[in-house]
Amino acid sequence: MIEVESLVKTFGDVPAVDGISFSVKQGEIFAFLGPNGAGKSTAIQMLTTLIRPTSGSARVNGFDVVKREKDVRLSIGVALQETGIDKVLTGRELLVLQGRLFKMTKREAEARAEELLSVVSLADAADRKSGTYSGGMRRRLDLALTLVHRPIVLFLDEPTTGLDPASRIEIWKEVRRLNQEFGTTIFLTTQYLEEADELADRIAIIHHGKIVVEGTAEELKQTVGGESISLVFHTDAEARAAAELFGQAATGPSLVFELRDYTLTDVVRKLDEQALQPERLTVKQPSLDDVFLKVTGESYEGGVPSVD
Amino acid sequence: MWTETWLFTKRSLMTTIRNPFSFIPNLMISVFFLLVYTSGLSSVAALPQFGGGDYLNFILPVSIVSGAVGGAGGAGQALVRDIESGYFARLLLTPSTRTAIVLGPMIAGMLQLFVQTLLIFAVAFLLGLSIPVGVVGFLFTVLLALGFGLAFAGYSVGVALKTRNAQAAQAGTLLFFPLIFLSTTFVPKELIEAEWLKVAATFNPTTYIFEGMRAVLTQPTIDWGALSAGLAVAGGMSVIMVVFAATNARGALKQK
Repeated sequence: MIEVESLVKTFGDVPAVDGISFSVKQGEIFAFLGPNGAGKSTAIQMLTTLIRPTSGSARVNGFDVVKREKDVRLSIGVALQETGIDKVLTGRELLVLQGRLFKMTKREAEARAEELLSVVSLADAADRKSGTYSGGMRRRLDLALTLVHRPIVLFLDEPTTGLDPASRIEIWKEVRRLNQEFGTTIFLTTQYLEEADELADRIAIIHHGKIVVEGTAEELKQTVGGESISLVFHTDAEARAAAELFGQAATGPSLVFELRDYTLTDVVRKLDEQALQPERLTVKQPSLDDVFLKVTGESYEGGVPSVD
Repeated sequence: MWTETWLFTKRSLMTTIRNPFSFIPNLMISVFFLLVYTSGLSSVAALPQFGGGDYLNFILPVSIVSGAVGGAGGAGQALVRDIESGYFARLLLTPSTRTAIVLGPMIAGMLQLFVQTLLIFAVAFLLGLSIPVGVVGFLFTVLLALGFGLAFAGYSVGVALKTRNAQAAQAGTLLFFPLIFLSTTFVPKELIEAEWLKVAATFNPTTYIFEGMRAVLTQPTIDWGALSAGLAVAGGMSVIMVVFAATNARGALKQK
């Protein structure tokens, strides 16, 4: 559905996107994960025909983003980071105009507007100027505008940046629903590790304009090792005894090792056999933080969801 | 293309009507010009170089053209608002052509201008305007105003797209002053004393618009030469400015 080959965009001498290649299959949710300034927005702007690549090529729904931009635009829905709404028009007027611009007849556009207004729960506010809407309502209207022409590929540029946690979960639900019910292919960018982990079938981590690693969340996490277990005992002696069982070394009363040769059940059974009772037992999944640290050598910044 | 252009025009008109302060001040200024200049300067018309015409007929084009310049500048400002609200990016993501997207506000600006010109004429008639050549004079004057208005709307839209900044677009309309005043604004060219002003007036396209309008407003018979020159300047400038605006439409995204 999306095929990208050695895509480059330079502004002046500075490469914002520095030769990225990847592909997204139909029906997939694909996330571009990276901190601010990694090149995510520039990439999305090229894929959606807003800016032209310096070199390389990209096809969306089979259409070249430079040579067939009109066909690309008919296939895609795009919600940019900032909502694109004319405050002077009402929600309904904006939706109808959007439908008309996507070649619907007046009647079709009106029917579609009505339908979407109820989908995004804006039916009551439909005939008010959109300038009077709250932030959340504006996001919902923006999403409705993106969906007017039933796009088969959806591009979401940081869909939840600046949203409160409740609204964030709302958006996640909506994205999953669009993907599952209509089979919409979704390309999203995010700076939140959690969001990529939660939503995406596949993730590409982008850093300084390059894709540093790509795969499912599981695959990425496996690159930094498996789950690890952490045990804390009442005494150092107990910890040492436990450590011997697994061929590890204890640090004071605690013992941490990777669950590679043993499963969690193995560990619990062995401890039980020796009547060793840990005071605390935790299993830690490797996180995308760890992945980011490993592939870039830098710790992830900007990944903490903040509410503006 | 035409459907889209119409949709964009309609949308711009709706936005204009809902923002009455985007056009009311400008209209007031034009009417103010007309009243003040007519009352204050009308005795100039007694000079022999005027050939006996009425000063109201002579100054009317200044009022109309200044209204046109101010009104058309609004098209650029409307576009800057769209760029800043992010709506422009949404429009760029529709299958519409870039040209239709920029033509919409320009045509809306021109229609606004049309209504405005009619209102100025209405005031002028109340002040006792009579056009020696009749209704033809009125029609050609309106046509010249529209052509000049479209050109200036194109200019303001082009500047807006290039700078993406409201202040810059506003500053772009500073061109208003040289355009309007370095010309045969108040007196015919023969009466301009400063040589530099005469030269400026010769190069100022507005002069040809003024002369074109005066060709059909002040004389008992139409001066076809001056009228054709005016129409040619208005038409030529419109084409150039529409192209200028359309070529700047690409990549005019909000910069962070």
